[in-house]
Amino acid sequence: MLMEENTKGKIEKILFTLFITCVFIVALKMSWNWPVRAAIIIWVLGGAGLVATLYQLGTDFKSIFSEPAKVEGMAFEAPLPEVGDSRWGNLEIWSWLIGLFVVILLVGFPIAVPLFVFAYAKFYGSRWITAIIMSGVSWGFIYGVFEETLHVRWPEPFLYRLFTS
Amino acid sequence: MIEAAIDGLLGILTFQSLAMMTFGVLVGSVVGFLPGIGGPTTLAIMLPFVMTMTDPMMVIALLVGIDAVGNTASAFTSILISVPGGAGSQATIIDGYPLAQKGQAARALSASFMASLIGGFIGPIVLIASLPILRPLVLSFGSPEFFVLTLWGLTMVAVLSGNTPVKGLAAGIIGVLIATIGLDPKSGTGRYDFDAPYLWSGISLIIVALGIFGIPEVMALASRKTSIAKSQDLGEGFMEGIWDTFRHWWLVIRCSMIGAWVGFLPGLGSSVADWFAYAHAVQTEKNKENFGKGDIRGVIAPEASNNSKEAGSYIPTLAFGIPGGTSTALILTAFIAVGIRPGPQMLTTQLNLTFAVIWTLVIANILAVAICMALTKPLAKACFLPFYTVVPVIAVFVFIGAFAAHFTNYDLVALLIFSLLGFMMRRHGWPRPPLLLGVVLGTKMETYLWLSYARYGLEWLWRPWVILLLGLVVLSLVMPIIKERRERRQKVATA
Repeated sequence: MLMEENTKGKIEKILFTLFITCVFIVALKMSWNWPVRAAIIIWVLGGAGLVATLYQLGTDFKSIFSEPAKVEGMAFEAPLPEVGDSRWGNLEIWSWLIGLFVVILLVGFPIAVPLFVFAYAKFYGSRWITAIIMSGVSWGFIYGVFEETLHVRWPEPFLYRLFTS
Repeated sequence: MIEAAIDGLLGILTFQSLAMMTFGVLVGSVVGFLPGIGGPTTLAIMLPFVMTMTDPMMVIALLVGIDAVGNTASAFTSILISVPGGAGSQATIIDGYPLAQKGQAARALSASFMASLIGGFIGPIVLIASLPILRPLVLSFGSPEFFVLTLWGLTMVAVLSGNTPVKGLAAGIIGVLIATIGLDPKSGTGRYDFDAPYLWSGISLIIVALGIFGIPEVMALASRKTSIAKSQDLGEGFMEGIWDTFRHWWLVIRCSMIGAWVGFLPGLGSSVADWFAYAHAVQTEKNKENFGKGDIRGVIAPEASNNSKEAGSYIPTLAFGIPGGTSTALILTAFIAVGIRPGPQMLTTQLNLTFAVIWTLVIANILAVAICMALTKPLAKACFLPFYTVVPVIAVFVFIGAFAAHFTNYDLVALLIFSLLGFMMRRHGWPRPPLLLGVVLGTKMETYLWLSYARYGLEWLWRPWVILLLGLVVLSLVMPIIKERRERRQKVATA
C-alpha cells in the first residue's frame, strides 16, 4: 500500500516537472517570431531553463526505479504539515477559497468578506458571538480602509447588474 | 560636516517635525502590517497633503518616517501567518514562520525588531563611511555591469534552493518569464497576454507573492485544523530573541552592510536586499542544517538588511536624482515639489537636508521598534488562536491584498492561478523563493541585457567589471557544490 502511494507520488512529481517543461517549450515557441528587443531575455534564460527542466525530468524518471539517495542539505521551505495535508483536506479548503471568489463576483467584496468569515468560523465550530464579532470587524476593516480612506471603486457585482439592467 | 549634522538634527527635533514623524511612523507601521497595501500606496495617498507644506524638514519627517518603518512592521505577518507584509520581508518567512509554528513567535518577532533597529542604525553609518568609494564605483557602472549584477542575484537561487539546485534554477527562470508578461515597453509586442488587456501591464509582484506563499500556507493550516503554533507556550522567547540578535552581532553587521550597499544600487534595492542577506547568511554561517526549519539567524539576516537598505536607497535619490525604487521615486517627487533639489549640492551646500533624512531614518526606527515591541506579545498570541478564527482572516487579507494590486476581479483570478502553482510547487518539492526572486529581478535583467546588447553588441562581455562580476556568478554557482562534495568526502573519511 505504502509502495503504491510512493509510486503514485513519484508519477505526480514527474507530471508536474513535465508541465514545467511544457511551459518552457510553449514560452520559447511563442517568442520565436517576436522582435529581439521583446524576446532576448526569454531566448537567453528560457533555453537554460528548458535544459534544467529536461535534466530534472530525467532525474525524476530515474527515481521511479530507484530509491532516491538521501542528500543532506537545506530545505528552504516552511516544513510541510505532518497531519491533515490530505487530498480531501486540500479539496475542502480549495472549495472555500473558490467559494469566496464566486461570492465576491456575485455580491461584491463588502458583503462577501463578512459573509465568508462568519460562514467559515461557524461551520468549524466557533461560538455565535465570536463569529458575529469577527464578521463585524472584517466589515469594519473593508469599510474603514477601502471605502472611507482609499475610496476604492469596487467592481459592480454580478447580481447587482442582473437586477438593475 | 559636523555643523551640517547638528543643523539637520535640530531641524528634525522641532515639535512640528517630531509630530509629523510620529504620525508617519504610526501610519507606516499600520500599513506595513497590512499585506498588499504597501508603502508606495501610502506615500501616493500622502502626496497631495504634502504638496501644501512649505517646511522641507516637516516633509522629510513625514515621508521618510513612513518609508523607514514599513519593513519593521511587515515582519508581523511574515512570521505569524507566512504572508509577506511588504516586499522587504519575503525572505523572513522562510525561518520566521517555522519558528512561529514551534511556538517561538515572540522570539522571532523580538529578534526581527532588534535586528531591524540595529540595521536602521548601521545603514546610515555604513553609507556615510562608504560614500567616497561607492560614488565613483556606481557612476562607472553601465548596463552590462548591472545586468551581470542581477544575474548574480539569480544564481543565488542555486543556494536558496538548497538541496535541489536544478529545480531552484528552473523556478527562478520561470519567475523571470512571469516578469516578462505584458506589453514590451519599447516594441509594443504583447508577450503571453492572450489578448487580455489585464495582462498588458504585467503581473503584480504582490499577487505572485501572496499566491505562491500566502494561500498554500492557509491551505496547510486549514487542512491541519489546528492553531498556527503546535506548542501552546510563548515561553521566554521575547527576551531570548533580543539576546539572539546580540549573540549574532557579526551577522547583523554584515547583513546591514549588504542592505546598505544593495540599496545604494539604483533600481535594485527595494525587494532584493533581504534575499541577498539571507543567501549570505546561509553561505557563510556554520551549522546551517536548521536554515529553513526555524533558525533564528534566518530571521535576523533579512530583517537587518531590509531596514539598512532604506538608508542606502536615499543616496542615489538625493545625490544623483536617481530613485532607488518606487517609494523613493514618490518621495523625490514630493521633495522637488517643496523645493529640495536633488544633485551634488545635497552632499555640499545642502548637506544639512541629507543629514535630516539620515536622522529621521534613525529616530523613526527607534519609534517603530518601540511600537512593534509593545505589540509583540499580544500579536504573537494570534498563533494560538483556533484555526477557524485565523484561516478566514488570513484568506481575506490575501484576497484583499491581491485585489489592491489593480482593483479588479482579474487580480483574484491571477491570485488563484498563482495559488495553484504555489500549492503544486510545495506539494512536489519545488522551492518557491527562487521563483519570487526571478519575478523581482526579471524586468531589470531584461532592460540591462537589451541595453548592453543594443549598445555594445557582444563587446560588453569583455569589460573588466563584467568579467569580475561574471567570475562571482560562477563562484556562487560552483562553491556550494565544491563545499558539499568536500563535506561528503570528509564524512566518508571519518566514518
